Amino acid sequence: MKILATVKRVPDPETSIKVKPDGSGIVADNIKWVVNPFDEIAVEESLRIKEKVAGSEVVLVSVGAKVAQEQLRTGLAMGADRAILVVAEDGLEPLAVARVLVKVIESEQPDLVVMGKQSIDDDSNAVGQMAAELLGWPQATFASKLELAGDQKTATVTREVDGGLETLSFPLPGIVTTDLRLNEPRYASLPGIMKARKKELKEIEVGALGVDVAPKARLVKMEPPPKRQAGKKVASVEELVHLLHTEAKVI
Amino acid sequence: MHFAFEDEHLRFRDSVRGVLDRVCAPAAVRKVWEDAPAHDAGRWRALAELGLLGLLAPERAGGLGLDEVSMVLALEETGRAALPEAIVDTALVAVPLLAGLEDHGIADPWLGRIAAGEVVVGVGCQPNPWVAHADAAELLLLVDRDEIHALPRAEVRSEPLPHLDAAQRLFRVAWTPSARTRVAAGAHGRRLHAAAVDRGALGAAAQLLGVAARLIEEAVGYAKQREQFGREIGSFQAIKHRLANARVRLEFARPVVYRAAFGIARDLPARGRDASHAKLVAADAAAFAARAALQVHGAIGYTWEVDLHVWMKRAWALETTWGTSGWHRGRLAAAVLDPHEEAS
Repeated sequence: MKILATVKRVPDPETSIKVKPDGSGIVADNIKWVVNPFDEIAVEESLRIKEKVAGSEVVLVSVGAKVAQEQLRTGLAMGADRAILVVAEDGLEPLAVARVLVKVIESEQPDLVVMGKQSIDDDSNAVGQMAAELLGWPQATFASKLELAGDQKTATVTREVDGGLETLSFPLPGIVTTDLRLNEPRYASLPGIMKARKKELKEIEVGALGVDVAPKARLVKMEPPPKRQAGKKVASVEELVHLLHTEAKVI
Repeated sequence: MHFAFEDEHLRFRDSVRGVLDRVCAPAAVRKVWEDAPAHDAGRWRALAELGLLGLLAPERAGGLGLDEVSMVLALEETGRAALPEAIVDTALVAVPLLAGLEDHGIADPWLGRIAAGEVVVGVGCQPNPWVAHADAAELLLLVDRDEIHALPRAEVRSEPLPHLDAAQRLFRVAWTPSARTRVAAGAHGRRLHAAAVDRGALGAAAQLLGVAARLIEEAVGYAKQREQFGREIGSFQAIKHRLANARVRLEFARPVVYRAAFGIARDLPARGRDASHAKLVAADAAAFAARAALQVHGAIGYTWEVDLHVWMKRAWALETTWGTSGWHRGRLAAAVLDPHEEAS
């Protein structure tokens, strides 16, 4: 079984992000970059399938700057077999990324694509859905559980939805996007890290794929969220209820 | 000479940190302080799965066949997490000692089990006579004059000793050397003993760096949230400068420790001198960081409510492990005043 998992390079969620003074983006200097945490979950899930289904292969794909090699090596150190980096130095919009991914999927012919439900930098939550639509494949988003049938022809996915759980079953090939509770990703072992050095990491220039990646939107301005205000101490439950009613207007 | 860690070393350090954040959070160390055993089989196995326990073991015995430079950053992380287990004695000291034995038939099965996370090994020798975690050790490597002896735990009598760091367990071990337990002697035994001391000092030094780094992190975190006179206390110069000085000491200690790791990995003539130098500067950096962190915290730093005591006491305990600062100062002085003697 061939599984394709996506890997996006994003700022470490522990990093304190600063917006450039002109609002044109974030200050990228001195930021630690990591694998998008939802993609880490996607890689982990792919590896777990590989460990269960003999003869499986896990291929990683990233679309981004050349430095994203570092994050692909992290995924290879976790245990993936090989990686593909589609080099696009300028950030692409979700639809462009989806089009690029479709090209890679058409070339690799995986049985299953596992992606993070969203990247923690742009939070678009769109590429998985768009890629499935462009391919005409079934999709199951926000997976908190993923099971394959014994013949690996069907996948069953549990999704966390408002008010409960939803279980979907669909024929493969298909696309699954991962939620936070699907698994706890492993850390790369030293033998894994050493092996990753020798694994294949293929680079493809985005221009060579012949897809339209021209931006459709223009970034107008970025600004940091307003500073959190200090809380207020109240003397009694009555006062709290009164303020929640009259000031916060939540009850 | 230009020295820098490779990407693989940094990636491994990050993995060790991530795993320790999961399995050795301050709450877990506090539990050991209260009543939990200091050796946790799950934690030990997690470190084995990362490759840390068998990192120095030869590949023929199931290890990775790497060197101390590949291990030093990971050991720093074990100090940062205040890991209770005997990682230095087992993975850094006992493994090369066993690998250095002439009889592979004795050593290799133990090395394989260490790499798999099945065994803890205790080590007792001068200047580190008390055996850490002897209660959990299945094998003890003990030195008698120029002889190295290997004994199963059942053949020694262990008496627990009081320890200021309650996450560590120290034992006085009584045993009887015999030809049956002897695994090395003479010049070979002396060489193995000397190498074990250098590695023990390096391991303690690396852990002290991690302890110092964590103390500074804790103090900086507290200085950013504690307010006085309407401002975060970290905005006051007296606090800033104190913490900056602690950081400077740490950063100046790091290359000394890394040089010792390099010297031991390459078996350079000055390895003993460099190991002592490393232990001294790392202990100094950790002691300074402990004082600074305590001052920044003020009175709450003395209480059980904050975790500071976990690392402060580890810093003080490590200062006396694998040779006190006085012992290392004496060795360093001998090396400086009579370098020919030290090199031989």
